[in-house]
Amino acid sequence: MKTAVKCDNLYFRYHKEYILENITLKIEDGEYIAIIGPNGGGKSTLLRLIMGLLKPTKGSIAIYGQSPQRAKRVIGYLPQKINFGLDMPITAFEAVLQGRLSGSKLFYDEEDKKTALRIMENLGVANYKDSKISELSGGERQKILLARALACDPKILILDEPTASVDIEGQKQIYEILKNLNMTKIVVSHDIKILFEGVDRVAYINRRLYMHDSPDLNIEHSEGHFCEMELFEYLKKGCDV
Amino acid sequence: MSDFFSLFFHSFIAVILLSIAVATIGSIMLLNRYSYTAASIAHGSYGGIGLALYFGVPMLLGTTLFALALALVLAAITYGNKERNDLLIGLIWAVGMSVGIIAVDASGGYGSDLMSFLFGDILMVPKSDLVYMALVDLLLIGFVALFYNHLLAIAYEEDFAKLRGINVKALHYATLLLIALTVVMSIRSVGLILVIALFSIPPFIAERFTHSLKAMIPLSGVLSFIFSLAGLLISYSFDISATASIILVSAAAFLISMIRKRE
Repeated sequence: MKTAVKCDNLYFRYHKEYILENITLKIEDGEYIAIIGPNGGGKSTLLRLIMGLLKPTKGSIAIYGQSPQRAKRVIGYLPQKINFGLDMPITAFEAVLQGRLSGSKLFYDEEDKKTALRIMENLGVANYKDSKISELSGGERQKILLARALACDPKILILDEPTASVDIEGQKQIYEILKNLNMTKIVVSHDIKILFEGVDRVAYINRRLYMHDSPDLNIEHSEGHFCEMELFEYLKKGCDV
Repeated sequence: MSDFFSLFFHSFIAVILLSIAVATIGSIMLLNRYSYTAASIAHGSYGGIGLALYFGVPMLLGTTLFALALALVLAAITYGNKERNDLLIGLIWAVGMSVGIIAVDASGGYGSDLMSFLFGDILMVPKSDLVYMALVDLLLIGFVALFYNHLLAIAYEEDFAKLRGINVKALHYATLLLIALTVVMSIRSVGLILVIALFSIPPFIAERFTHSLKAMIPLSGVLSFIFSLAGLLISYSFDISATASIILVSAAAFLISMIRKRE
Protein backbone atom coordinates (compact mmCIF):
# COMPACT_ATOMS: atom_id res chain seq x y z
CA MET A 1 0.00 0.00 0.00
CA LYS A 2 1.32 3.44 -0.91
CA THR A 3 1.73 6.08 1.77
CA ALA A 4 -0.34 9.16 1.00
CA VAL A 5 0.93 11.46 3.77
CA LYS A 6 4.04 11.07 5.89
CA CYS A 7 4.92 13.59 8.59
CA ASP A 8 8.21 13.03 10.42
CA ASN A 9 9.02 14.74 13.69
CA LEU A 10 7.14 17.86 12.62
CA TYR A 11 7.32 21.12 14.54
CA PHE A 12 5.64 24.40 13.73
CA ARG A 13 6.31 27.60 15.64
CA TYR A 14 4.41 30.87 15.29
CA HIS A 15 6.28 33.81 16.80
CA LYS A 16 7.83 32.19 19.91
CA GLU A 17 5.11 29.63 20.57
CA TYR A 18 5.05 26.08 19.29
CA ILE A 19 1.66 25.29 17.71
CA LEU A 20 2.69 21.74 16.81
CA GLU A 21 5.38 19.60 18.40
CA ASN A 22 6.88 16.29 17.38
CA ILE A 23 4.10 15.25 15.01
CA THR A 24 4.77 11.90 13.40
CA LEU A 25 1.95 10.65 11.22
CA LYS A 26 1.54 8.18 8.40
CA ILE A 27 -1.66 8.04 6.35
CA GLU A 28 -2.01 5.23 3.85
CA ASP A 29 -3.55 5.62 0.40
CA GLY A 30 -7.35 5.40 0.62
CA GLU A 31 -7.56 5.87 4.40
CA TYR A 32 -10.27 7.99 6.00
CA ILE A 33 -8.80 9.92 8.94
CA ALA A 34 -10.62 12.20 11.37
CA ILE A 35 -8.64 14.83 13.23
CA ILE A 36 -10.25 16.21 16.36
CA GLY A 37 -9.08 18.40 19.20
CA PRO A 38 -9.71 21.68 20.98
CA ASN A 39 -9.66 25.13 19.41
CA GLY A 40 -6.12 26.38 18.90
CA GLY A 41 -4.77 22.84 19.21
CA GLY A 42 -3.14 22.94 15.78
CA LYS A 43 -5.63 20.99 13.63
CA SER A 44 -5.93 23.55 10.85
CA THR A 45 -2.20 24.31 11.05
CA LEU A 46 -1.42 20.63 10.38
CA LEU A 47 -3.73 20.73 7.33
CA ARG A 48 -2.02 23.86 6.02
CA LEU A 49 1.38 22.22 6.46
CA ILE A 50 0.20 19.13 4.55
CA MET A 51 -1.12 21.37 1.76
CA GLY A 52 2.18 23.26 1.55
CA LEU A 53 0.57 26.57 2.55
CA LEU A 54 2.90 26.74 5.58
CA LYS A 55 6.46 25.50 5.98
CA PRO A 56 7.39 23.45 9.05
CA THR A 57 9.83 24.92 11.55
CA LYS A 58 11.43 21.48 11.82
CA GLY A 59 10.75 18.02 10.41
CA SER A 60 9.51 16.85 7.04
CA ILE A 61 6.29 16.13 5.16
CA ALA A 62 5.90 13.96 2.08
CA ILE A 63 2.78 13.61 -0.05
CA TYR A 64 3.05 10.43 -2.12
CA GLY A 65 6.82 10.77 -1.69
CA GLN A 66 6.93 14.40 -2.90
CA SER A 67 7.22 17.69 -1.06
CA PRO A 68 3.84 19.36 -0.37
CA GLN A 69 4.78 22.22 -2.74
CA ARG A 70 5.21 19.76 -5.62
CA ALA A 71 2.18 17.68 -4.70
CA LYS A 72 -0.43 20.45 -4.49
CA ARG A 73 -2.18 19.28 -7.65
CA VAL A 74 -3.20 15.95 -6.04
CA ILE A 75 -4.96 17.66 -3.14
CA GLY A 76 -8.59 18.77 -3.06
CA TYR A 77 -9.47 21.16 -0.24
CA LEU A 78 -12.66 22.25 1.41
CA PRO A 79 -12.08 25.21 3.77
CA GLN A 80 -13.78 25.85 7.09
CA LYS A 81 -15.31 29.06 5.82
CA ILE A 82 -14.60 31.67 3.22
CA ASN A 83 -14.43 35.26 4.36
CA PHE A 84 -15.83 36.79 1.22
CA GLY A 85 -18.18 39.74 1.31
CA LEU A 86 -21.89 39.00 1.27
CA ASP A 87 -22.19 40.30 -2.27
CA MET A 88 -19.17 38.51 -3.77
CA PRO A 89 -20.15 38.19 -7.45
CA ILE A 90 -19.44 34.54 -8.18
CA THR A 91 -21.85 31.84 -9.32
CA ALA A 92 -21.81 28.30 -7.95
CA PHE A 93 -20.59 27.01 -11.33
CA GLU A 94 -17.73 29.52 -11.44
CA ALA A 95 -16.70 28.43 -7.93
CA VAL A 96 -16.65 24.75 -8.90
CA LEU A 97 -14.74 25.49 -12.10
CA GLN A 98 -11.94 27.00 -9.98
CA GLY A 99 -11.05 23.45 -9.00
CA ARG A 100 -9.85 22.97 -12.59
CA LEU A 101 -7.44 25.92 -12.51
CA SER A 102 -3.68 25.61 -12.31
CA GLY A 103 -0.76 28.01 -12.44
CA SER A 104 -0.43 27.62 -16.19
CA LYS A 105 -4.14 27.23 -16.98
CA LEU A 106 -5.71 30.62 -17.50
CA PHE A 107 -8.90 29.65 -19.32
CA TYR A 108 -11.41 26.81 -18.97
CA ASP A 109 -12.05 24.43 -21.85
CA GLU A 110 -15.15 22.35 -22.62
CA GLU A 111 -13.73 19.38 -20.71
CA ASP A 112 -13.42 21.52 -17.56
CA LYS A 113 -17.02 22.68 -17.88
CA LYS A 114 -18.32 19.14 -18.43
CA THR A 115 -16.34 17.84 -15.43
CA ALA A 116 -17.56 20.63 -13.15
CA LEU A 117 -21.17 20.08 -14.19
CA ARG A 118 -20.93 16.29 -13.78
CA ILE A 119 -19.61 16.66 -10.22
CA MET A 120 -22.35 19.16 -9.39
CA GLU A 121 -24.92 16.69 -10.71
CA ASN A 122 -23.39 13.88 -8.64
CA LEU A 123 -23.63 15.97 -5.49
CA GLY A 124 -27.15 17.12 -6.32
CA VAL A 125 -26.36 20.81 -6.68
CA ALA A 126 -26.48 21.26 -10.46
CA ASN A 127 -29.71 23.23 -10.17
CA TYR A 128 -27.79 25.97 -8.29
CA LYS A 129 -25.36 26.33 -11.20
CA ASP A 130 -26.20 29.96 -11.98
CA SER A 131 -27.01 31.05 -8.43
CA LYS A 132 -24.85 33.60 -6.67
CA ILE A 133 -22.98 31.45 -4.16
CA SER A 134 -23.48 33.88 -1.28
CA GLU A 135 -27.25 33.43 -1.64
CA LEU A 136 -27.12 29.67 -1.01
CA SER A 137 -27.71 28.03 2.38
CA GLY A 138 -24.76 26.80 4.47
CA GLY A 139 -25.29 23.17 3.40
CA GLU A 140 -25.67 23.99 -0.29
CA ARG A 141 -22.57 26.18 -0.18
CA GLN A 142 -20.50 23.43 1.46
CA LYS A 143 -21.60 20.99 -1.26
CA ILE A 144 -20.53 23.51 -3.90
CA LEU A 145 -17.15 23.86 -2.19
CA LEU A 146 -16.91 20.06 -1.94
CA ALA A 147 -17.61 19.91 -5.69
CA ARG A 148 -14.83 22.47 -6.22
CA ALA A 149 -12.45 20.33 -4.13
CA LEU A 150 -13.34 17.26 -6.21
CA ALA A 151 -13.10 19.04 -9.57
CA CYS A 152 -9.32 18.61 -9.75
CA ASP A 153 -9.73 14.82 -9.47
CA PRO A 154 -7.68 14.71 -6.25
CA LYS A 155 -5.95 11.73 -4.66
CA ILE A 156 -6.28 13.33 -1.22
CA LEU A 157 -9.31 15.22 -0.01
CA ILE A 158 -8.71 17.59 2.90
CA LEU A 159 -11.74 18.99 4.68
CA ASP A 160 -11.57 21.60 7.43
CA GLU A 161 -14.78 21.55 9.46
CA PRO A 162 -16.97 20.53 6.51
CA THR A 163 -20.17 20.60 8.53
CA ALA A 164 -19.66 23.89 10.37
CA SER A 165 -22.72 26.13 9.89
CA VAL A 166 -24.62 23.29 8.20
CA ASP A 167 -27.98 22.05 9.51
CA ILE A 168 -28.45 18.44 10.76
CA GLU A 169 -29.88 17.18 7.46
CA GLY A 170 -27.07 18.84 5.51
CA GLN A 171 -24.49 17.29 7.86
CA LYS A 172 -25.91 13.81 7.27
CA GLN A 173 -25.81 14.35 3.51
CA ILE A 174 -22.20 15.56 3.58
CA TYR A 175 -21.05 12.63 5.77
CA GLU A 176 -22.85 10.22 3.43
CA ILE A 177 -21.14 11.73 0.38
CA LEU A 178 -17.74 11.51 2.11
CA LYS A 179 -18.26 7.83 3.01
CA ASN A 180 -18.80 7.01 -0.64
CA LEU A 181 -15.78 8.86 -2.01
CA ASN A 182 -12.99 6.49 -2.89
CA MET A 183 -9.81 8.42 -2.06
CA THR A 184 -7.64 9.38 0.91
CA LYS A 185 -9.69 11.65 3.16
CA ILE A 186 -8.53 13.81 6.05
CA VAL A 187 -11.29 15.55 7.95
CA VAL A 188 -10.80 18.07 10.72
CA SER A 189 -13.90 18.46 12.79
CA HIS A 190 -15.18 19.96 15.99
CA ASP A 191 -18.19 17.75 15.53
CA ILE A 192 -17.27 14.44 17.15
CA LYS A 193 -20.16 12.74 15.37
CA ILE A 194 -17.56 12.39 12.61
CA LEU A 195 -16.11 9.51 14.67
CA PHE A 196 -19.20 7.48 13.95
CA GLU A 197 -19.27 8.15 10.22
CA GLY A 198 -17.04 5.34 8.98
CA VAL A 199 -13.59 6.82 9.61
CA ASP A 200 -10.68 4.37 9.71
CA ARG A 201 -8.61 6.15 12.36
CA VAL A 202 -8.88 9.10 14.68
CA ALA A 203 -6.14 11.58 15.51
CA TYR A 204 -6.45 13.87 18.49
CA ILE A 205 -4.31 17.00 18.28
CA ASN A 206 -3.54 19.45 21.00
CA ARG A 207 -0.07 20.65 20.03
CA ARG A 208 0.96 16.97 20.11
CA LEU A 209 -0.73 14.18 18.23
CA TYR A 210 -2.40 11.10 19.64
CA MET A 211 -3.52 8.54 17.08
CA HIS A 212 -6.22 5.95 17.72
CA ASP A 213 -5.95 3.01 15.39
CA SER A 214 -9.51 1.83 15.50
CA PRO A 215 -12.71 3.67 14.82
CA ASP A 216 -14.43 1.35 17.31
CA LEU A 217 -14.06 3.64 20.27
CA ASN A 218 -16.30 1.54 22.47
CA ILE A 219 -18.01 4.61 23.84
CA GLU A 220 -21.64 4.63 24.73
CA HIS A 221 -22.99 7.27 22.50
CA SER A 222 -26.36 8.81 22.18
CA GLU A 223 -26.21 11.13 19.23
CA GLY A 224 -25.51 14.66 20.29
CA HIS A 225 -24.96 13.79 23.94
CA PHE A 226 -21.45 12.99 24.96
CA CYS A 227 -18.78 14.83 26.82
CA GLU A 228 -16.15 16.11 24.46
CA MET A 229 -13.49 16.40 27.14
CA GLU A 230 -14.07 12.84 28.35
CA LEU A 231 -13.72 11.62 24.80
CA PHE A 232 -10.48 13.55 24.34
CA GLU A 233 -9.10 12.10 27.59
CA TYR A 234 -10.15 8.62 26.49
CA LEU A 235 -8.37 9.07 23.17
CA LYS A 236 -5.22 10.40 24.81
CA LYS A 237 -5.07 7.50 27.28
CA GLY A 238 -5.96 4.81 24.78
CA CYS A 239 -3.65 5.93 22.02
CA ASP A 240 -0.02 5.39 21.24
CA VAL A 241 1.82 8.65 21.75
CA MET B 1 -26.23 70.32 -26.07
CA SER B 2 -23.77 70.48 -28.98
CA ASP B 3 -22.03 73.33 -27.10
CA PHE B 4 -21.76 71.02 -24.16
CA PHE B 5 -20.04 68.31 -26.19
CA SER B 6 -17.66 70.64 -28.02
CA LEU B 7 -16.70 72.29 -24.73
CA PHE B 8 -16.31 69.01 -22.93
CA PHE B 9 -14.83 66.92 -25.77
CA HIS B 10 -11.56 66.14 -23.97
CA SER B 11 -13.43 65.62 -20.72
CA PHE B 12 -15.83 63.27 -22.49
CA ILE B 13 -12.91 61.16 -23.77
CA ALA B 14 -11.36 61.27 -20.28
CA VAL B 15 -14.64 60.05 -18.80
CA ILE B 16 -14.73 57.09 -21.18
CA LEU B 17 -11.10 56.19 -20.41
CA LEU B 18 -11.66 56.59 -16.66
CA SER B 19 -14.76 54.40 -16.84
CA ILE B 20 -12.77 51.60 -18.48
CA ALA B 21 -10.25 51.80 -15.63
CA VAL B 22 -13.01 51.88 -13.01
CA ALA B 23 -14.63 48.80 -14.57
CA THR B 24 -11.44 46.73 -14.73
CA ILE B 25 -9.02 47.58 -11.94
CA GLY B 26 -11.73 49.21 -9.79
CA SER B 27 -13.65 45.91 -9.65
CA ILE B 28 -10.53 43.88 -8.84
CA MET B 29 -9.52 46.47 -6.23
CA LEU B 30 -12.89 46.22 -4.50
CA LEU B 31 -13.10 42.41 -4.53
CA ASN B 32 -9.61 42.08 -3.09
CA ARG B 33 -10.25 44.77 -0.46
CA TYR B 34 -7.41 46.92 -1.79
CA SER B 35 -9.25 50.23 -1.38
CA TYR B 36 -7.28 51.39 1.65
CA THR B 37 -3.97 50.35 0.05
CA ALA B 38 -4.98 52.15 -3.15
CA ALA B 39 -5.86 55.26 -1.14
CA SER B 40 -2.40 55.11 0.42
CA ILE B 41 -0.79 54.94 -3.05
CA ALA B 42 -2.98 57.82 -4.25
CA HIS B 43 -2.24 60.15 -1.34
CA GLY B 44 1.39 59.09 -1.07
CA SER B 45 1.86 59.92 -4.75
CA TYR B 46 1.81 63.57 -3.78
CA GLY B 47 5.44 62.91 -2.87
CA GLY B 48 6.08 62.15 -6.55
CA ILE B 49 4.50 65.42 -7.61
CA GLY B 50 6.65 67.35 -5.12
CA LEU B 51 9.87 65.57 -6.07
CA ALA B 52 9.18 65.98 -9.80
CA LEU B 53 8.72 69.70 -9.18
CA TYR B 54 11.86 69.96 -7.04
CA PHE B 55 14.11 68.10 -9.49
CA GLY B 56 12.51 69.57 -12.60
CA VAL B 57 11.45 66.17 -13.92
CA PRO B 58 8.27 65.95 -16.07
CA MET B 59 5.35 65.65 -13.64
CA LEU B 60 3.83 62.55 -15.21
CA LEU B 61 7.15 60.69 -15.27
CA GLY B 62 8.14 61.66 -11.72
CA THR B 63 4.75 60.80 -10.27
CA THR B 64 4.58 57.51 -12.16
CA LEU B 65 7.98 56.38 -10.84
CA PHE B 66 7.16 57.45 -7.29
CA ALA B 67 3.72 55.79 -7.34
CA LEU B 68 5.21 52.55 -8.70
CA ALA B 69 7.83 52.59 -5.92
CA LEU B 70 5.11 53.12 -3.32
CA ALA B 71 3.08 50.27 -4.81
CA LEU B 72 6.10 47.93 -4.57
CA VAL B 73 6.67 48.84 -0.92
CA LEU B 74 2.99 48.41 -0.12
CA ALA B 75 2.84 45.10 -2.00
CA ALA B 76 5.78 43.81 0.05
CA ILE B 77 4.20 45.01 3.31
CA THR B 78 0.72 43.68 2.67
CA TYR B 79 1.46 40.31 1.05
CA GLY B 80 0.82 37.54 3.56
CA ASN B 81 0.95 39.96 6.45
CA LYS B 82 -2.41 40.74 7.97
CA GLU B 83 -1.07 42.06 11.26
CA ARG B 84 -0.84 45.81 11.75
CA ASN B 85 -1.22 46.36 8.02
CA ASP B 86 -3.45 49.36 8.56
CA LEU B 87 -0.76 51.15 10.57
CA LEU B 88 1.94 50.61 7.92
CA ILE B 89 -0.37 51.52 5.05
CA GLY B 90 -1.36 54.70 6.89
CA LEU B 91 2.30 55.49 7.56
CA ILE B 92 3.19 55.27 3.85
CA TRP B 93 0.20 57.46 3.07
CA ALA B 94 1.41 60.16 5.50
CA VAL B 95 5.12 59.89 4.62
CA GLY B 96 4.40 60.24 0.88
CA MET B 97 2.29 63.35 1.44
CA SER B 98 4.88 64.83 3.80
CA VAL B 99 7.67 64.30 1.25
CA GLY B 100 5.48 66.07 -1.30
CA ILE B 101 4.73 69.04 0.96
CA ILE B 102 8.41 69.54 1.89
CA ALA B 103 9.59 69.13 -1.74
CA VAL B 104 7.02 71.68 -2.92
CA ASP B 105 8.08 74.12 -0.17
CA ALA B 106 11.77 73.59 -1.03
CA SER B 107 11.12 74.32 -4.68
CA GLY B 108 9.65 77.70 -3.81
CA GLY B 109 6.00 76.64 -3.90
CA TYR B 110 3.79 76.02 -6.83
CA GLY B 111 0.71 77.92 -5.81
CA SER B 112 -2.81 77.04 -6.65
CA ASP B 113 -1.94 74.71 -9.56
CA LEU B 114 -1.09 72.03 -7.03
CA MET B 115 -4.72 72.04 -5.97
CA SER B 116 -5.58 70.58 -9.36
CA PHE B 117 -3.43 67.54 -8.52
CA LEU B 118 -5.20 67.08 -5.21
CA PHE B 119 -8.75 67.58 -6.44
CA GLY B 120 -8.35 67.27 -10.20
CA ASP B 121 -10.08 69.14 -12.97
CA ILE B 122 -11.66 66.98 -15.58
CA LEU B 123 -12.27 70.05 -17.76
CA MET B 124 -8.52 70.69 -18.08
CA VAL B 125 -7.16 67.26 -18.99
CA PRO B 126 -4.38 67.76 -21.57
CA LYS B 127 -4.16 65.63 -24.72
CA SER B 128 -0.92 64.01 -23.53
CA ASP B 129 -2.73 62.71 -20.46
CA LEU B 130 -5.43 61.19 -22.67
CA VAL B 131 -2.76 59.19 -24.49
CA TYR B 132 -1.30 58.05 -21.15
CA MET B 133 -4.79 57.09 -19.95
CA ALA B 134 -5.48 55.11 -23.13
CA LEU B 135 -2.20 53.20 -22.75
CA VAL B 136 -2.92 52.37 -19.10
CA ASP B 137 -6.43 51.25 -20.08
CA LEU B 138 -4.97 48.87 -22.66
CA LEU B 139 -2.73 47.40 -19.96
CA LEU B 140 -5.66 47.04 -17.56
CA ILE B 141 -7.91 45.37 -20.14
CA GLY B 142 -5.13 42.96 -21.14
CA PHE B 143 -4.31 42.13 -17.51
CA VAL B 144 -7.90 41.48 -16.43
CA ALA B 145 -8.80 39.58 -19.62
CA LEU B 146 -5.74 37.33 -19.34
CA PHE B 147 -5.86 36.67 -15.61
CA TYR B 148 -9.62 36.93 -15.08
CA ASN B 149 -10.03 33.39 -13.69
CA HIS B 150 -6.94 33.62 -11.50
CA LEU B 151 -7.94 37.03 -10.12
CA LEU B 152 -11.45 35.78 -9.32
CA ALA B 153 -10.03 32.67 -7.62
CA ILE B 154 -7.72 34.82 -5.45
CA ALA B 155 -10.52 37.22 -4.56
CA TYR B 156 -12.76 34.31 -3.60
CA GLU B 157 -10.26 32.29 -1.57
CA GLU B 158 -6.55 32.94 -1.56
CA ASP B 159 -5.56 29.61 0.03
CA PHE B 160 -7.41 27.61 -2.60
CA ALA B 161 -5.81 29.69 -5.35
CA LYS B 162 -2.36 28.94 -3.88
CA LEU B 163 -3.21 25.24 -3.69
CA ARG B 164 -4.12 25.27 -7.38
CA GLY B 165 -0.65 26.61 -8.12
CA ILE B 166 -1.72 30.16 -8.99
CA ASN B 167 1.07 32.69 -8.44
CA VAL B 168 -0.84 34.75 -5.90
CA LYS B 169 2.20 36.83 -4.95
CA ALA B 170 3.00 37.89 -8.52
CA LEU B 171 -0.63 38.86 -9.16
CA HIS B 172 -0.76 40.79 -5.86
CA TYR B 173 2.28 42.84 -6.94
CA ALA B 174 0.97 43.28 -10.49
CA THR B 175 -2.43 44.46 -9.25
CA LEU B 176 -0.92 47.08 -6.93
CA LEU B 177 1.44 48.32 -9.67
CA LEU B 178 -1.53 48.71 -12.02
CA ILE B 179 -3.47 50.53 -9.31
CA ALA B 180 -0.49 52.92 -9.05
CA LEU B 181 -0.57 53.58 -12.81
CA THR B 182 -4.34 54.08 -12.63
CA VAL B 183 -3.94 56.59 -9.81
CA VAL B 184 -1.39 58.57 -11.83
CA MET B 185 -3.55 58.50 -14.95
CA SER B 186 -6.43 59.93 -12.91
CA ILE B 187 -4.53 62.69 -11.12
CA ARG B 188 -5.35 65.51 -13.53
CA SER B 189 -8.96 64.49 -14.06
CA VAL B 190 -10.13 63.59 -10.54
CA GLY B 191 -7.14 64.30 -8.29
CA LEU B 192 -5.39 62.29 -5.61
CA ILE B 193 -8.00 62.92 -2.93
CA LEU B 194 -11.09 61.98 -4.94
CA VAL B 195 -9.74 59.13 -7.05
CA ILE B 196 -10.58 56.36 -4.58
CA ALA B 197 -14.24 57.42 -4.33
CA LEU B 198 -14.54 57.32 -8.12
CA PHE B 199 -12.88 53.91 -8.28
CA SER B 200 -14.83 52.35 -5.40
CA ILE B 201 -18.43 53.51 -5.72
CA PRO B 202 -19.44 52.16 -9.19
CA PRO B 203 -17.94 48.67 -8.56
CA PHE B 204 -19.51 48.61 -5.08
CA ILE B 205 -22.98 49.30 -6.51
CA ALA B 206 -22.44 46.87 -9.41
CA GLU B 207 -21.30 44.11 -7.04
CA ARG B 208 -24.57 44.30 -5.15
CA PHE B 209 -26.70 43.80 -8.23
CA THR B 210 -24.77 41.18 -10.22
CA HIS B 211 -24.20 37.44 -9.86
CA SER B 212 -20.82 37.27 -11.51
CA LEU B 213 -17.69 39.33 -12.02
CA LYS B 214 -18.33 39.06 -15.77
CA ALA B 215 -21.46 41.14 -15.26
CA MET B 216 -19.98 43.36 -12.53
CA ILE B 217 -17.13 44.68 -14.71
CA PRO B 218 -19.25 46.14 -17.55
CA LEU B 219 -21.92 47.40 -15.13
CA SER B 220 -19.23 49.24 -13.12
CA GLY B 221 -18.02 50.89 -16.32
CA VAL B 222 -21.51 51.93 -17.40
CA LEU B 223 -22.31 53.32 -13.93
CA SER B 224 -19.04 55.24 -13.83
CA PHE B 225 -19.79 56.68 -17.28
CA ILE B 226 -23.33 57.70 -16.29
CA PHE B 227 -22.22 59.27 -12.97
CA SER B 228 -19.42 61.17 -14.70
CA LEU B 229 -21.65 62.42 -17.48
CA ALA B 230 -24.32 63.48 -14.99
CA GLY B 231 -21.63 65.24 -12.93
CA LEU B 232 -20.39 67.08 -16.01
CA LEU B 233 -23.91 68.19 -16.91
CA ILE B 234 -24.55 69.44 -13.36
CA SER B 235 -21.20 71.23 -13.38
CA TYR B 236 -22.05 72.87 -16.74
CA SER B 237 -25.54 73.88 -15.59
CA PHE B 238 -24.59 75.32 -12.20
CA ASP B 239 -21.02 76.40 -12.94
CA ILE B 240 -19.53 74.30 -10.14
CA SER B 241 -16.53 71.98 -9.93
CA ALA B 242 -16.95 69.06 -12.37
CA THR B 243 -14.95 66.50 -10.38
CA ALA B 244 -16.71 67.28 -7.11
CA SER B 245 -20.06 67.04 -8.95
CA ILE B 246 -19.14 63.59 -10.29
CA ILE B 247 -18.19 62.35 -6.82
CA LEU B 248 -21.41 63.73 -5.29
CA VAL B 249 -23.54 62.12 -8.02
CA SER B 250 -21.72 58.82 -7.35
CA ALA B 251 -22.25 59.17 -3.60
CA ALA B 252 -25.98 59.88 -4.14
CA ALA B 253 -26.27 56.77 -6.33
CA PHE B 254 -24.45 54.78 -3.64
CA LEU B 255 -27.01 55.85 -1.02
CA ILE B 256 -29.94 55.08 -3.34
CA SER B 257 -28.48 51.61 -4.08
CA MET B 258 -28.21 50.89 -0.34
CA ILE B 259 -31.86 51.77 0.15
CA ARG B 260 -33.02 49.83 -2.94
CA LYS B 261 -31.10 46.72 -1.94
CA ARG B 262 -32.53 46.80 1.59
CA GLU B 263 -36.05 46.91 0.13
